[in-house]
Amino acid sequence: MNTQLRLLFYTFTAMFVALIGVLAYWQVYARESLANNPHNGLQTQREVQVPRGLITASDGTVLARSVPSGENSYDRVYPEGAVYAPVVGYWSTRYGATGIEIGMNTELSGRGEPATLDELINQLSGRPQGGNNVELTLDPELQRLAYERLAASATGRGSAVAIDPQTGEILALVSHPSYDPNNIDETFPELQRAENSPLLNRATQGLYIPGSVFKVITAAAALEAGVSPSRSFVDTGSYTAGGFRVTNYGGASYGAQDFAHALALSINTIFAQIAVEEVGAQALAQKALEFGFGDGYEDFVLPVAPSTLGEPPSEWDAALLASNGFGQGTVQTNTFEMALVAATIANGGTMMQPQLVNEVRSQDGIILDRATPQTRNRVMPSEQARQLTSMMELVMTEGTAQSGQLPGVEIAGKTGTAETGSGPPHSWFIAFAPADDPTIAVAVLVENGGDGESAALPIARDMIRTHLEDRNEDQG
Amino acid sequence: MAQRATLPMLLALATVALGFAILLAVQQETSPPLIYGGAYAGMMIGVYGFVRLWLPRSDALLIPVVTLLTGTGLIMIYRLTYGVEGVEDLAISQVIWILTGSVFLLLTIVFLRDYHRLMQYKYLLALLAIGLIMLTFTPFGYEVNGARLWVQIGPVNFQPSEFARIGLIIFFAAYLAEKRDLMAATSRTVLGVQIPSPKYFGPVLVVWAASLGLLVFEKDLGSSLLFFAVPLLMLYVATGRAAYVGIGSVLFAIGCVISYHLFAHVRVRVAAWLDPWADPDLMGFQILQSLFNIADGGIVGTGLGEGFSQTIPEVHTDFIFSAIAAELGLLGASAILLTFLIFVYRGMKIALLSGDDFSKLLAGGLTVMFALQTLVIIGGVTKAIPLTGITLPFVSYGGSSVVGNFILTGLLLVISEKAGRRLAGEEVR
Repeated sequence: MNTQLRLLFYTFTAMFVALIGVLAYWQVYARESLANNPHNGLQTQREVQVPRGLITASDGTVLARSVPSGENSYDRVYPEGAVYAPVVGYWSTRYGATGIEIGMNTELSGRGEPATLDELINQLSGRPQGGNNVELTLDPELQRLAYERLAASATGRGSAVAIDPQTGEILALVSHPSYDPNNIDETFPELQRAENSPLLNRATQGLYIPGSVFKVITAAAALEAGVSPSRSFVDTGSYTAGGFRVTNYGGASYGAQDFAHALALSINTIFAQIAVEEVGAQALAQKALEFGFGDGYEDFVLPVAPSTLGEPPSEWDAALLASNGFGQGTVQTNTFEMALVAATIANGGTMMQPQLVNEVRSQDGIILDRATPQTRNRVMPSEQARQLTSMMELVMTEGTAQSGQLPGVEIAGKTGTAETGSGPPHSWFIAFAPADDPTIAVAVLVENGGDGESAALPIARDMIRTHLEDRNEDQG
Repeated sequence: MAQRATLPMLLALATVALGFAILLAVQQETSPPLIYGGAYAGMMIGVYGFVRLWLPRSDALLIPVVTLLTGTGLIMIYRLTYGVEGVEDLAISQVIWILTGSVFLLLTIVFLRDYHRLMQYKYLLALLAIGLIMLTFTPFGYEVNGARLWVQIGPVNFQPSEFARIGLIIFFAAYLAEKRDLMAATSRTVLGVQIPSPKYFGPVLVVWAASLGLLVFEKDLGSSLLFFAVPLLMLYVATGRAAYVGIGSVLFAIGCVISYHLFAHVRVRVAAWLDPWADPDLMGFQILQSLFNIADGGIVGTGLGEGFSQTIPEVHTDFIFSAIAAELGLLGASAILLTFLIFVYRGMKIALLSGDDFSKLLAGGLTVMFALQTLVIIGGVTKAIPLTGITLPFVSYGGSSVVGNFILTGLLLVISEKAGRRLAGEEVR
């Protein structure tokens, strides 16, 4: 009988050890994902007892802070309100959390692994431990300007994103209409029902037909396929592919034009022809994927709806290839993605990882984490990026965006007027400046705002101007 | 046999005192009436002293292990229920249950020092055990949370299955000790498996099936599992035939499938185990709250009094281990697991060192039940297996469970005394 007893004991021992393994799984491996689970109410219970960290803009402007609201409890206050709500998000004991509040929750709540000796002592002694402060890359002046201009736009619905092309830092990320996160507990049900979706971050979560701004991706694919900017095409006012007749915006006809002017004047027929005859579905789709289409940017701190090609390129017929070639087919994107496209061309064809968090500091100011620029991928050779930049400069000097010129600055840009099938078209504009050494790339979209030149372009132009003036002041 | 365990005893008491000191000093909780703490510590020291005097060759290390487990339970119960309306006096009730349990332990070692007498009463004990379970079907029985597990006779409430278990283990140990040679011998083959004559199997099967059937109708999943597995493993120990475990496992699987289709509460438990996220606010609520709290503890825990384990329904009984894992962390929870393993180790060692079949089977059976109960409930609250509502021995709040486990410890002590004497050459029988 002793053999069996021993065997049983060994089995039980193994099971006890296995249980320690199960515990280690929950308490070490799965700890953070459970802590940040939306159903986990412990975080909000602890939250009201312990001050969360500050969220600040790049200049120290406070975007979110915890203020005492009684003995051992704190309220979350958002001094800048709706301007930053789509980025910063809200923190509600009832409705959970969004934005940076949930994306950086581990740091803000101070429940990450202890990083300083004080934190370790606090954690070991079980003393409440304040959260770490999170500084964002956002430029408050640019953010507020874009917010106010979008609010004043034709429909008041739209988004704008500005990026430093050389580092990937997000300088502005605006969505309008927005909401006041300060009293979210009372207003949430109403906001959720509201027709103009104020809770939707249009810049990262919206998906729109890009229209002609997509032509820069087609152009990049064409340059790779060997179409030179000076190559001549003839526009007769229409181009037929697979039984589908492509025409130009406003029914215009441009005659003989080189490839560079086809982009500058945004000639649909020539881009349809280039997509069908020079590039092909696979190469066009491939270029869009390299530019970030289909990517949810999992490492980015906010959730991003992946821009989409609609159907896979193997399913595209000639008609769909032609219309995707000038952004009116099944492709859909948002200003976050298009700002990255502009930034990539600006940065010589190299896409940097988009970054929104500049640094994380402990409450006593010790830097715990600091963002460093990271390359995401090389989308196009620098020579082709330079050619495309010149073509986009032509858009500003001789093309559709001449009203966007600024004195003394060379800007590269592209307008977009996306037909939606119902109502006025979406107004798009993407640009970067200065063209020879870009420090800012922007994408602006005004929903149903009319053509690209009238609604989106002035907002983007003013963002660029403000940014460059600030830089000159800083350097002077 | 470890005969002296004074240092572990002092360490266990100091640990418990430290735990209360932390709650009182750091958390600034109001002190529970000190008289209860004094009574608890005094009783545990008294039990230890009496065991040392009365059973000098016994394995006294069991007492500090029991002290550490009951003490940890007391700290957690106090911490989880203090100032919570409706349950604020649970820690004091638990002290009273521990004192009652200690008295039962002392009665066990005084009156059952010659525990071999129990062999003569095996059928009586089996009948008594089944009768106890059947009490829940009489007007004395009542239902809590959809399971009819409780009996009230006069002022006394108790869970008969906690005591019936011990009676049945004594029956199986006595019966198997007498018939093990006959049962190991094979007489016929069914489906390629050698089966002994039903003549010897009959009584075991009847008692087994009767107790199991009753518990299934009580909807007591945890006890059903124990009542099924413990006799099976005892049969394996007695006969040395792994085939029984194989057949048992097949029967177990069939039983699981049948009860899954037959009982809604089984389906709910399985669904909550497989995918608690499907219904996180209702069906999966309890297990998810348990996991959130366990994860919240991390490696070193939130610290005593710093967790939020009150969010788990029934945290002071079935889910007390989740609260321990939350506040004491992976390190503290592992320490408690290892303390349980020490108890299992001592129990198995007592069985190994015993000289006769009845002692081996009784000590082995009691230890197997203790180990399985611990594994099943901790596995349940950590989502390693589906949850079945049983208590964590010595730690969970609950009178019947505490008293039952003290009786179990008393039996292990008298068996170890006999084994200790045999080793020392003082064989009395």
